[in-house]
Formats: sequence, structure tokens, C-alpha cells
Amino acid sequence: MSNTEAWNQVLRQPAEQLYAHELEALKKADKGHVPPGWSMSPQSVLTFITGGKAGKVDITPKYIGNRRLVEMAIATLVTDRALLLIGEPGTAKSWLSENLTAAIYGHSGLVVQGTAGTSEEHVRYSWNYAMLLANGPTQQALVQSPIMRAMEAGGIARFEEISRCASEVQDALISILSEKTISVPELGQEMQARKGFSIIATANTRDRGVNEMSAALKRRFNIIVLPAPDSLDTEVEIVKKRVAEIASAYELQAAVPTDDALHKVVTIFRELRQGMTLDRKDKVKSPAGVISTAEAISLLTNSMSLAASFGGGEMTDEDLAAGLQGAIVKDDDKDRVVWQEYLDHVMKKRGAEWRGLYQACKELNG
Amino acid sequence: MSTTTVADVHVFGVRHLSPGGAYHLLQTLDRIRPTAVLIEGPADATSEIRHLVAKGTKPPVAILAFTDELPVRTAMWPLASYSPEYQAMQWAAKNGAEAEFIDLPSSIMIAMDEQYEHGDRRDKSLGNPDNLDADADADADADADADAVTADVESTNLADPEQTEPSKLPTETEQHRSEEPDGGHDEGQDDNTKHPLDAMYERIAELSGEPDYDSYWERYYEHQLGADSYASSIELFSTELRQWSEEDERPFAKRAFAYHAVREAYMRRRIMETMEAGHDPARIVVVCGSYHASALQISEHLPPMSDDELKRLPQRSTRLTLMPYSYYRLSSLSGYGAGNHAPHYYELMWNMMQKEALHELPHYYLSGVARELREMGTYRSTAEVIEAVRMAQSLASLRGGTQPVLGDLQDAARTLLGQGELSVVAEPLARLNVGTSIGQLAEGVSQTPIQDDLNRLLKQLKLTRYKTAVAAELALDLRENRRASSEASAFLDLRRSFLLHRLRLLGIDFAKKAVTRQDQATWAEQWVLQWSPEVEIQVIESTLLGETVEVAAGYRFQQRLDECSTLEEASKLIAIAIQCGMIAQLEPARRVLQRLAVDNRDVLQIAAAAGELSRMIRYGDVRRVDTSPLVPLLEQLFFRGCLFLTDNCNCKDEVATSMMGAIHELNVISQEHDEEVDGALWLQELGELMRRDDLNARLSGFACAVLMERSAIDQQDIASEMARRLSPGVPAELGAGWFEGLSGRNRYMLLSRLSLWQQLSDYMDGLEDEHFMRALVFLRRAFSTFSAAEKSQVAELLGEVWGIHAEQAAELLTGELEEKEEQMLDDLNEFDFDDF
Repeated sequence: MSNTEAWNQVLRQPAEQLYAHELEALKKADKGHVPPGWSMSPQSVLTFITGGKAGKVDITPKYIGNRRLVEMAIATLVTDRALLLIGEPGTAKSWLSENLTAAIYGHSGLVVQGTAGTSEEHVRYSWNYAMLLANGPTQQALVQSPIMRAMEAGGIARFEEISRCASEVQDALISILSEKTISVPELGQEMQARKGFSIIATANTRDRGVNEMSAALKRRFNIIVLPAPDSLDTEVEIVKKRVAEIASAYELQAAVPTDDALHKVVTIFRELRQGMTLDRKDKVKSPAGVISTAEAISLLTNSMSLAASFGGGEMTDEDLAAGLQGAIVKDDDKDRVVWQEYLDHVMKKRGAEWRGLYQACKELNG
Repeated sequence: MSTTTVADVHVFGVRHLSPGGAYHLLQTLDRIRPTAVLIEGPADATSEIRHLVAKGTKPPVAILAFTDELPVRTAMWPLASYSPEYQAMQWAAKNGAEAEFIDLPSSIMIAMDEQYEHGDRRDKSLGNPDNLDADADADADADADADAVTADVESTNLADPEQTEPSKLPTETEQHRSEEPDGGHDEGQDDNTKHPLDAMYERIAELSGEPDYDSYWERYYEHQLGADSYASSIELFSTELRQWSEEDERPFAKRAFAYHAVREAYMRRRIMETMEAGHDPARIVVVCGSYHASALQISEHLPPMSDDELKRLPQRSTRLTLMPYSYYRLSSLSGYGAGNHAPHYYELMWNMMQKEALHELPHYYLSGVARELREMGTYRSTAEVIEAVRMAQSLASLRGGTQPVLGDLQDAARTLLGQGELSVVAEPLARLNVGTSIGQLAEGVSQTPIQDDLNRLLKQLKLTRYKTAVAAELALDLRENRRASSEASAFLDLRRSFLLHRLRLLGIDFAKKAVTRQDQATWAEQWVLQWSPEVEIQVIESTLLGETVEVAAGYRFQQRLDECSTLEEASKLIAIAIQCGMIAQLEPARRVLQRLAVDNRDVLQIAAAAGELSRMIRYGDVRRVDTSPLVPLLEQLFFRGCLFLTDNCNCKDEVATSMMGAIHELNVISQEHDEEVDGALWLQELGELMRRDDLNARLSGFACAVLMERSAIDQQDIASEMARRLSPGVPAELGAGWFEGLSGRNRYMLLSRLSLWQQLSDYMDGLEDEHFMRALVFLRRAFSTFSAAEKSQVAELLGEVWGIHAEQAAELLTGELEEKEEQMLDDLNEFDFDDF
């Protein structure tokens, strides 16, 4: 089996594989100055993320919405500062981090996935204990963390969900970021970072189970807050693009949702998120859970797969209603009431176009 | 005069309020060393130049032109220290050159502006840009030279007499003021803001990859300090811009086109005059908006305006004054982005340019942000400032710029110093961008009539010594000073009060009212007086409302009256009229209040208005105002208050508290004005409120208390009412709520009636546990406002009822809570109120 075929079997391809031809085209057309350790110029990275053209190849936009934020992120990495992306769940933090890494370093796989169980060894280095016991501390027995490997290669490491690690573990990064070295006292060595090394961390500040970040650590990052999409149209566009991509990746046998369905779902989500109707006339209660753009995307793919597996392949209002029910009503009693209220006070009054969806939702919510 | 010499006149195109422009202009001036510096600005303001460059004058200042009759129209030319025009004046003063303004005089400018606007409005209503007016044909000749266009404008005006009719509404004048504060100043481009020019600015920014036009401008023009690159790039830019907009304007916006043509022809005329006065053309420098630069070279196609043409231009009589300006105004009132959205930042840039250290601007700016943050109590290290500077530079290099623009600096500040949050750095950024500078004028510089009037009044009322920057208190006694020799001095304080209130009405913050020590004494007023440049600006702006303080205040009052739509506002306006001693305005205000009262059914508003009126009727004579015309109005309001009382008392508990206030207000009125108002009706309505069970129980209780106080209900009735309200079976919240209302009034009355407490005690005894808990919550609230002394009296009474020793009971009620009791109260906190 060849390499590409192997990748095709993978559930989710990393960005550098998914967009390999775009990266190739960008590198070929690149005329700007390439910073040391980078695989292309900052301008090309920007094009890769926000879309455009490289020679004759169309570059699809990866991050839709605020172009300036992407510029700020790239400018940060040019100055060899570490980048911290903060945002509510589902604001494309990891997505942006993966694509930036793929474009700048060409390999987005050096990842520390932060959890409550992440220890300092995951950040710095650990040992192969069998070898350690047999031969004592040697270079071979050293197990490098992704961060250490990135330092060695002059690449970019990603630290996902950094705020889910214990604060003490997060603080292991402080000296790495300021000194750009990791010392290994057991071997009497120091690992010096090569040019191009940086870290992109993502964090979620307002969820359950996150830890406060220390001021000392925050100071070492350039912090960029990723907002929820600021307009209905942007959000519809994002959802549309991702749903189409996912549908083709999972080979869903259903038609891509109509613009009308997309519009409805995004409208409902935005109204519930903001706590008021889009025309700002009525107040709406928000459900307890997060209702992000990512959630809208998975809702629609969910409905598509429902339609494909158990329906006629066309997404009906019933399929959509099932998806909505699942996405919005998470905390049973309270969310059910919120959803009920929304259905009766807002959706019901929206007229004929919404009637079908309203009936379907109403039936499901009981 | 040969054309070769004409061509030697040096025309320097700038953007207004641009430090870069000022920098290059000064270099050019030093190189050419002109004998005459001609500046785009109203020609009739030339005499003001010596005041502008005088030692005591500190920018930002503005030239204000205003028409001296209604409808008032204004034009304003603000100048900052970094304005190229201002620097040109300074240079001329220092180097002994002549400085002159050469744009149309304000009289013509304002008149044309007005017609332009009228015409524009009319065009819009026609909705057909292709066929604007009768003169479309006259302009058909596409190569029409300036003469034809000039004549064209005139014929338009003459053909449309309705345009010149001085029938503009006062509100429109006001609107005009706020919309186009610097009408004539900008490059003429603002004259077509309704025009696709804005869209084109956006397009330019988009094409250059900049978030907005200001960033584009700063990056590509302000930062170009090379000697020739600035001049050549700005020339290219404005030539292109002009071609583009002319193509667009000629067919579609003839007025804008003609307006520019007239102004430019006039400027050429002034240039010609300067040459004729003996200045060597090679030593004349013209400073103008870059848009006009190419049109100021006199040639066959572009001749100067002739005498005849000048005579035919419309005119309105105007006056000019200089006024101090502030950076805040400069930034908030900017008509189009003439680089003045961040005046303080541009001043910083200008200072850096003068030190030849523009590249250090980011260091100063970002250190400034960090310093502001530290002052606000958020610590940010120098290391972070360093990183912020690096990031700003790297953002700039992403765009291919030589150094960061304001947008880059702000984004860097937000990322590093705000740690991603804009809200953290928003205030420091605003301070660094806009700043708080306020301009100053040298002593004795020209004044507006209202300034003169105010100074005269201050002198007359012996208030001149308060005109300082130090806040001073002033206590006024409005009563007649019987020892005074003349009537004028007997009421000195009253007249002072009138003036201060009028200034307040005009929004002039010279005097602020302080809280009086005797809050019921209506004859005493306490003021804090403080003069500041902002006050000066406010006074000058009031010129637009009238020539004297009195006229302006009257005009402002009428405006507020026209906008007034609530009873509360109307009654306040009546109070203001009385406070300001504006007898003439009292009657129209009274009519407005009456009109509003007819349709109002909200007792809260009615009571508030009636209360206000009642106070004025009672105490108006201290201000020597005849308030008798207000009495019928009070009667009417009171009557309506009675009629709608019960309707309004069917309300929730949240509203009940303010309703109690309203009932109190009306009750006071019925006692104070018992000769004028229908007191019997009031008592009857209160009785109704007390007896009805379907209204808010607290209010019913309150009504009962009021009736008790007025002795309008006998002992027997009280007892039966209480028995009914507190009978078993009545829901606890209603019963206890009623008692709460009852106790909201005169407590001594309650405390003097033992039988009431007996009844209350019986009621409590009769409650089941569940209901008792509920009742407890309400009763606790009712008693929370009782003082310790009152509580012990209650204890005494209850002790008597229960046959317990009074002191024992008091100890229990007023003593500290024990742990166990605390626990019980805590349990009550968790009591579920959802069922209520």
C-alpha cells in the first residue's frame, strides 16, 4: 500500500496532508522572504489560512472571518514568540493552530494534548525505564516530549487545551519559553532550541475543569482571543464549508443541506447564544451548554447521516429537528424548557417557512 | 505678466491635520523662503492669523464662522499644532513673510453650502440624478470651463427662489451643526460624502490590504519622510483621485463639481492678486488640500475669477471668531477621516518628526500604554512593552511598511499589554489616541456676542472673580435683602441664580449645583463655580442659539419643549422656566404639560408632575414668579390622579413601593392645597382602595394607614378591616403584605393602638406551620424598617398581649441572635419562593 493510500484510510487527515497540493503550490509561487526555520514566507502563510491564489492553484480559506487576527498570529510567530489562542469552545482554535503549524513548519503532529493528567514529563522529557535501569541515563533512554522534539528540529509544537493541565505543569513552560532550552541534568546536557522553534497553545478560559494560568506564563505568550463569528453570513459560510468537507471525508450518502436549512440552524444557534433574537427585539433564554459554530457543523452532519441511513437521502425537517434536539437539550429539564420557550415564542411566529421545522421540533421536544 | 512666472508659484498639496504634510511643508518653506504664504482657509479670517500665531495661543483652536441671523449656519476650521496650515502661519510669522487665507470668504462659503444642501436634498427627492435641474442643458458642454460652471451655479440659485428662502427650521440648523461641524474646511471631499467617494476610500484600503483608509494613508504617506517621495506620491494620488471623481461628478453631482470649481477659481484670483501686489511668483507658496493642488496653477483653461463673477456669488452676512478647541472634539466630530481620529497620536508623531526620531514613535506609544495601565493598577512589565514593539514591527513588515501604523500598535498593545483582551487596554488606548488637550487663546482675542454678554452679566452680578480654574463655592439667598439700597441689589442673589440656571439649561458647565445643607429651604442655593476652556467652548457654541444668554436660553428651552413627550419632562421644564426666571416661557410649557396630562393614565407620572407643580406653587414666590396660572393645572392633575388611583393599584409588589410614594405625594397635595383640589374625592378613592380585595394588598394597607392618619376612618372600621384582612384562610402573603403596607406609614399611630397588636397576635396564632413560615417572611420585611426603640415598643405591646414581662420580650427581640436561631433563619433563606 502506498503512502497516499494509507493516508486515505485515516479517519481524519492532518492539515499538511489534506492541503498538500496547496502548500506545494504556495511554496512554488513564494517570492517573499522566508524566515529561518519556516517553509514559506509569512505572506504565503497568510494566503494559506485566509485563502487566495498561488500561481494557478486556488487556495481555500481555512479560517473565515477575522483576517486581522490571523495576521496578528503570524506576526507573533515571526518574532519567535509563543502564541496562545483563547476562545470559547468551538471557535476554531485548534483548527487554526493546526493549519498555522502545517503551513509554517510542514508538520502539525508535535502535539501535547493537555488533560488533568498531563505531567511535567509530557512537557519536558521522560525515560524509557527498561533502558534506564539497564544502562543508566543515556541519550537512547531519553524519551523526548513533542516540545523537545520541536526544539531540536526548529519547528512548531502545539499544546492543546493548556488550561486543562494543572497550573504547576503549565508553569514548566515558563523557562522553556524564556530560555529556549531544556536542560537534562542526568546527562549533563542542554537541549538548545534551533531557529524557527515556537509553541502554539490553545486554551479555553470559561469551561468547567479549567485551571487559571499564572501571570508569569501568560506574559510569555502573545495572546489572541478568537471570537465567535461576528455576522450571520460569516457563520453560515463557515458551517457550509465545513459540512461539505466533512460530508465528503465521511462519504455521507446524503445531499448537502440546503442554504435554507443552514440559515435556519445558524439563526437558531446565534439567537440562543446571544440571548436575543437577531433583530434584537426579543430576549431569549440561553441553554446551559455551549452552542458553538462547531456544534452547528456536527449537528448538520449528524442530520445528514440520519437522512442517509434511515431516510431518503434528502434532509427533512424531522432530521434537522432531531439534530437540534440533541445539540440544544443537554441538561434535560432546564434546557428542555428553554427550547420549548424558544419554539413557542420565537420560532412559531416566524411564519410559513419555519412551520415544518417548528412542528417537527415541537413533536420531538414533547 | 508672462505665464512662465505664473507657473513658478509653488503649490503645495497637503492633507489637513497631517503631521507628515506639516513636516514636508516646513522643509519646502525653508528651501523656497517665500515672501507670501497663501493658505486654504476663509479669506475674511486673514486678520485672525496674527491671533492664531500669537504667543498665548495654544492649539487646538478653531475658526468659527456663523451667520448672524436665523437660521444660524456655521462653518468651522479646526487647527492642531500639526496642521500644515498652522505650521505655515507660524513659519510666516517667524520669517517675516505675509500669510493669507485665500479660500472663499465665510459669507460666500456658508451661503453656497446652504444652497448646495438645499439643492442636494431636492435632487434626492427627485431621485433622478441624470436630470437634476433646469440647467442640465447649460452644463451639457462637457468641457465647460470654470466660468461657465460658476455662472451655472448662480443661475441655479436664481432660478430657484425657494432655495434662498430663510425658512429653515431651527432644528435643522441644530442638526446641521452636529452633522457638519467642519463644513468648509476639508478638502472639499467631505462635500460629497453621500457620494461614492467613501466607497472608493474603502476600496483603496482593501486593495492595499489595509483594514481601513487611515492605516493606508498613514503607512504610505505619513511615514514617507524622504524629501521628494512624499510630494510626488501625494501629487500622483490626488491627480488620479481628481480625475476619477471629476468623471463621476460632472454628470452625476454637478453641484459638488461646481462648488469646487468656484472655490478654486477664487483661490486663483487671490494668487493673482498676490502676484500683482508685487510678490515674486517664485517666492509664493500656496498651501491647500492636495485635491485642489492641480487646479490652482493659473492657465488659459483655469483663469482666476473675475470681479463680475465674484459679485454674482450668493452671500450671507457672517461673523467670525476664534475658539479654543479640544482634541476630544477634533476626534469625535471628524466629518471624514482627515487623520484626526487620533489627534494625540498624531501630535506624538509630529513631535517625533521634529526630533527626526519617527522610528521611536512605537516605543513612546506603547510605553505610554503600559504607563497608563500601571496607573490604573494593572502591572505590565517593560519586557512586555519590548515584545509589543517587536510584534507591531513584525505586523508592519507583513504589510511591507517601514514602521507600524496606529492599527498595528493598537493590535500589539491588545495582544501583549491587554493579554488578548481589548477591554483591558481600551481606556489607555483612548487616552493615547485622543488625549485630553484643550486649546487656549491669547488674552483679548476676538469674542462672540454671547461671550461679551456673559462677561457683562458676570460683572453686573459681581461674579467675575469666580471665573477661574479653581472651584469656588457660592451660597445664594434668594430672599429679598431688605437692607439693600436699590431693588437691583436687593435681589442680587436671585438674579445670580437666574443666570446660573440659564447657563445650566444651555449646557454650559460653569456652575454645578451642590447639595444644600437645608434641604427643605427653597430660598437657599449652593453652587460650585469653575471656569475651564471646555466652558469657553460651550459658551461660544451657544452663540448659535442666540446672541445673549437670555435669548439663547429661551431658544434652547423651546427646543426642549418641542422634543418633550412625557409628563415628567414637561413638569421639569416648568420648573426650569421658573428657576431661570423665564416668565415668557412658562405659558407654552404649561400648555405642553396640560396637553400631555390629558392622555396620561399613569398615576406615578401624574403624581410626580403634580408634586413638582405643587412645590412651584408653594415656593414660586421666592423667585418672584406668578404661579397662579399653574393652579388649574394642578387641580386637573390631582383629579386625574384620584380617578386612576384604583386602576393603577392593581400592580405587582415591585411597583407597589413607588406607588406608595405616589400616594404620599398626592396626599400631601390634598392637604397643602385643600382649597384648590378635591380633597373629598381623594379620601373617597383611598377608602375604595382600602376596601377592595382585588388590588395590591400592600397598597390597601397603606391606604388604610393614610386614612387613619387623616382621621378619616373610625376605630371601629379599623378593627373590622384588620380582622377581615388578617382572618384565617387569607393567604399569608396577602395578610402579612397588607400589614407591611399598614406599617409603612405613621408608626406611632400603630404603636398607640393595643387592639391592633392583639389582632395581629391572634392572626399569627391561627396560622398553620407552612403558612406561618410564609407570613414570617413578609412580617420580617415589614419590621425590618422599624428602629430599635420602635421594636422595643412593639415588644412591650406584644408582651402585654401575651402577659409576658416587657423587658424580657424586648431582650429577645433586640438582642443578638443565638446560633440556633441563626440556623433557623438560614433555613428560611432556603425557603422556596417559587410558589408565590
